[in-house]
Amino acid sequence: MIIEEISLALQKGKANDVKALVQQALAEGYTPKDILEKGLIQGMNVIGGKFKRNEVFVPEVLVAARAMNAGQEILRPVLVKSGIKPIGKAVICTVQGDLHDIGKNLVKMMLEGQAIACVDLGVDVPAEKVIAAIKEHEPDLLCLSALLTTTMIMQKEIIEAVNKAGLRNRVKIMVGGAPVTEKFALEIKADGYAPDAASAAELAVQLIGEMHV
Amino acid sequence: MFKNIEHYKPDLEKTMCMLGKLYADAARRRGGNVTFRALPPSDVEFYSTFDLTKYNYESDINEYAEDLSRLLAESFELRREVDDIMVPTISPVLGIGDYSAFVAGEIDFRKDTSWSKPVFENIDDWKRIPPLGTSKWYRWFLEICEAMLEISSGSGIPFMRGFFSPLDLAGALRGDMIYYDFYDEPEKLHDLLAFCADATIMFAEDIYALARKYLKDTKYGMYYLDGKINMSEDIACMISGKTYREFARPHTQRVINHFGEGHMHTHSRSLYLVKEICSMDGVVNLWLPTDPNAPRPIDHLEELIEDADGVCLAIDIDDFSEIENNLEILKKGNFSLTLPVKDIEEAKALTERFNLLEGI
Repeated sequence: MIIEEISLALQKGKANDVKALVQQALAEGYTPKDILEKGLIQGMNVIGGKFKRNEVFVPEVLVAARAMNAGQEILRPVLVKSGIKPIGKAVICTVQGDLHDIGKNLVKMMLEGQAIACVDLGVDVPAEKVIAAIKEHEPDLLCLSALLTTTMIMQKEIIEAVNKAGLRNRVKIMVGGAPVTEKFALEIKADGYAPDAASAAELAVQLIGEMHV
Repeated sequence: MFKNIEHYKPDLEKTMCMLGKLYADAARRRGGNVTFRALPPSDVEFYSTFDLTKYNYESDINEYAEDLSRLLAESFELRREVDDIMVPTISPVLGIGDYSAFVAGEIDFRKDTSWSKPVFENIDDWKRIPPLGTSKWYRWFLEICEAMLEISSGSGIPFMRGFFSPLDLAGALRGDMIYYDFYDEPEKLHDLLAFCADATIMFAEDIYALARKYLKDTKYGMYYLDGKINMSEDIACMISGKTYREFARPHTQRVINHFGEGHMHTHSRSLYLVKEICSMDGVVNLWLPTDPNAPRPIDHLEELIEDADGVCLAIDIDDFSEIENNLEILKKGNFSLTLPVKDIEEAKALTERFNLLEGI
């Protein structure tokens, strides 16, 4: 079945194949919703699960995500036409003082793999830029990444700044990164923490669900 | 500024003898060595107090070297009565940016570390950079080493410098694009990694030659350099054992072969790579610090001993009881155990306690 082929090609990171298969599926009359959910998202879910279990690693996730994007490029205009929207929106960044972006990029790709639109502010992002982005983009989620013990403290400062700006009730905040623990996330009053990118995407879906209840 | 090494390490001969046996046994793949390092805050505090943004590295190299040497000397002085395996070493501290800027690119200095930005937009950009050895940071780094060697000359304190592995160097120069290169440009990635291995060999040889000029007449000054190479395998934590074997290992092995002994570093995030790294010819030591949210090596001793096959594993522990509870298992392999302690007094007390353990 072509939907399964889309999922398998995505898992192998075959971007050109995914693109062609999505086009073929549309031509054969499959709904864009089915192609997205049962093909692309399902494929990314498989990759996410394997990533959590150390069965695949960063290069495999990145090429799979690239294949997902290739499929989404074909689907996007059709989805817009059919009125299918992303399930939510996230603003994501690596905090000030930290220039690592691989963790943040992986989470972003996994979120997009769950049909969550992402506004990527990049790395070394100060609190004021985060506040401005929340006001401008009105996201459901704010995702803060830090790879160093010396920069994870900025996650706390940004959460405090969001509080101070009166925006805390408008956005759920997730924190992550190699040195970040669940205990730390609780201490700094984040709404969620995930140990890896795939779990972050699952948590994001859950938090967005809570936002929209 | 520095006193003689035997002032900082009164038991130097005994310690060097233990290290010699440890690495010789590791080279023969024979276990039985367990060593201990206490880690008081004073061993590492200077990394956060030494402000890397304070210096113009074109004109302030002597000031930089004097400031860093003063901090190092203070740190060595504080732990002189700690009878553990740690030997004072002189090493430049420039964050992490300099680990690739000697090839190309700039260093972005922050207070307590530094960064480098990827400079190879295309995978074969290494063919288009000026010849190795001509970059500004190559020259400045050697000048920094020389300034520190001059200050410490006569003390006999060993000089020390670690390097990125070819994969880490390629990762720093290429950025995250390297993860796609494994799939998109495997042949060209091998070419880039070969270039990175050549660059590391050349840079290390130049640093070693400089150090030899100042330390050749000392007993242990070249201990961590002659016949050795110290390299990180950090990017390896992001890839599978299979990918490591296919891409990274041949190039890392070539660098080790050039020098003799490999003293390696990766993270507990990648315990699955211990076997890959330790099975390379010449590897005698693998520093395997524990990452948050990752397995603790001390909890996986049996499998690590098997995977390391005699290579010394330098691992962290959280409590002294972990040594006592695992002593018999630890003795089956080679281990260097590091325990953070609250102060020098605790460092002394726990080192004494360790030195009394049976069969150590």
